[in-house]
Amino acid sequence: MTPVHFAFSSTFMLGLAGLAFHRYHLLSALLCLEGMMLSLFIALSLWTLQLDSTTFSSSPMLLLAFSACEASAGLALLVATARTHGTDRLQSLNLLQC
Amino acid sequence: MTFIMYLVLFSFVLGLVAVASNPSPYFAALGLVVVAGMGCGVLVGHGGPFLSLVLFLIYLGGMLVVFAYSAALAAEPYPETWGSRPVVTYMVVYLAGVVLVSALFWGGWYESSWGSADELGEFSMFRGDMAGVALMYSAGGWMLVISAWVLLLTLFVVLELTRGLSRGALRAV
Amino acid sequence: MNPYIMALLLFGLGLGTTITFASSHWLLAWMGLEINTLAIIPLMAQHHHPRAVEATTKYFLTQATAAAMLLFASTTNAWLTGEWDIQQMSHPLPTTMITLALALKIGLAPMHSWMPEVLQGLDLTTGLILSTWQKLAPFALFLQIHPNNSTILITLGLASTLVGGWGGLNQTQLRKILAYSSIAHLGWMTLVLQFAPSLTLLTLLTYFVMTFSAFLVFKLNKATTVNSLAISWAKTPILTSLAPLILLSLGGLPPLTGFLPKWLILQELTKQGLPLLATFAALTALLSLYFYLRLSYAMTLTMFPNNLAGSAPWRFHSPQLTLPLAVSTATAILTLPLAPAAMALFAP
Repeated sequence: MTPVHFAFSSTFMLGLAGLAFHRYHLLSALLCLEGMMLSLFIALSLWTLQLDSTTFSSSPMLLLAFSACEASAGLALLVATARTHGTDRLQSLNLLQC
Repeated sequence: MTFIMYLVLFSFVLGLVAVASNPSPYFAALGLVVVAGMGCGVLVGHGGPFLSLVLFLIYLGGMLVVFAYSAALAAEPYPETWGSRPVVTYMVVYLAGVVLVSALFWGGWYESSWGSADELGEFSMFRGDMAGVALMYSAGGWMLVISAWVLLLTLFVVLELTRGLSRGALRAV
Repeated sequence: MNPYIMALLLFGLGLGTTITFASSHWLLAWMGLEINTLAIIPLMAQHHHPRAVEATTKYFLTQATAAAMLLFASTTNAWLTGEWDIQQMSHPLPTTMITLALALKIGLAPMHSWMPEVLQGLDLTTGLILSTWQKLAPFALFLQIHPNNSTILITLGLASTLVGGWGGLNQTQLRKILAYSSIAHLGWMTLVLQFAPSLTLLTLLTYFVMTFSAFLVFKLNKATTVNSLAISWAKTPILTSLAPLILLSLGGLPPLTGFLPKWLILQELTKQGLPLLATFAALTALLSLYFYLRLSYAMTLTMFPNNLAGSAPWRFHSPQLTLPLAVSTATAILTLPLAPAAMALFAP
């Protein structure tokens, strides 16, 4: 495991841990998700650059487009929950409990 | 070069610790800016100026403006910075975890493993990533079509999610 | 919702699953999963009820996390082995991570807790899409990676059957009961995945047919709680007499279709030298059978008092389409005699 491999793996895992453990705001959760996608972008780009696999270097761009889609859908959901629940606290998303 | 790489990678991880340690969204967005900037540094160090430029422009120019707007939308009166106690606890725990795991691998890292694969890459005029991304217009044309279609789909998704809501805090006027 | 937008979203659902089916590259498979998730989000939130929006948010967060984990695992695989092909996973670490990510995506037991809550917030049609069509793409990946870590698969499967039976015991909400039934069935599929993948496909198919009929029965009765099932004898008498058969078929009783996959799975597990596991799985199926029986009891075996005006709505014709329900009900009840043909079709 090279240092760059360790760096993006640990950033991804940190983002995942931050998303999984206690979040106050929906926006913080979305930011953690965005951090995960960012480390995936770095991972794909570095794989391309390290292996000099030129034809694969358009895949980080596709990943960036899809993560932009995901982020915008998440922000739209943020607006929708702010309208229906009045706040973006994740604690208030409690209508569906058993 | 080794030292710069070491510094950049360290700030990359530190920036994501700052995002993940649950501060208020403004500060988390600031941490994401740091992560994106350092990611650009990593990419440049490994010889990918075009991908780095794309990351810089798309991320810092586009998405973080949107995130800053949303942070303003979900603003709170007493924000939590990295100094407040639960955030500091999370940061210490995450940093300790990263340091412990990296100590496992530390023996296998020698000096040249910090650098990139292409030696003397500074002397070359053209970089492979630019040509590779341009392949999306020829060989990877269907992927381009799919991505464009997904962006269009996302537009409709966002419109459908936020349209026609007449209750709650932010009313459509 | 505007029909053009609806058509676009349904096309997106189909396209996402098709891309995942057709792909041999992990990036393309991930794209298909993302398209699937993006396309179903407005369908889930189409009524803009707070519960629907909340369910959509929870679904989005879990699915996005699972998809990111999937891509991270395949990137790790590429860094370790230099291979992006789905069917050529050789390193155990990325294979385990992909198994866990797919388990989160379809809702297997330790990662299941989003599934009942999300299904509770949706209407029955979208819930039907969520518990059938959305499982197809992750299952296609699941079948292709040949997971070889048997401990984690058996743990996931047995925990799912147990939780699926146990969690539904105390529920009065039909959609939550259906969600727990989905978890239990997915657990059965995961149990047999490493021994006979064709049996997994057969189980998936029969589960689709049975859960399709169950959702349509509840939709025809406009019922979302056990209470409101009580007057279904006044709405659709014949369907009310058939509904226990569908539910018991979901539970897996012998003369019905649902017995077929459970029978074959138990036989396969015994053949592989795991009789203890087969016994445990059969015992956990009893827990599920209890709540199916309770639904049948509330729906058919008791006749609740009703006033005169309320006892004759069966005279009116329902505007809902009943042909799919008829076909799927017949399939969900009667196809056990086709077992040799099904085995010949699925097990080469």
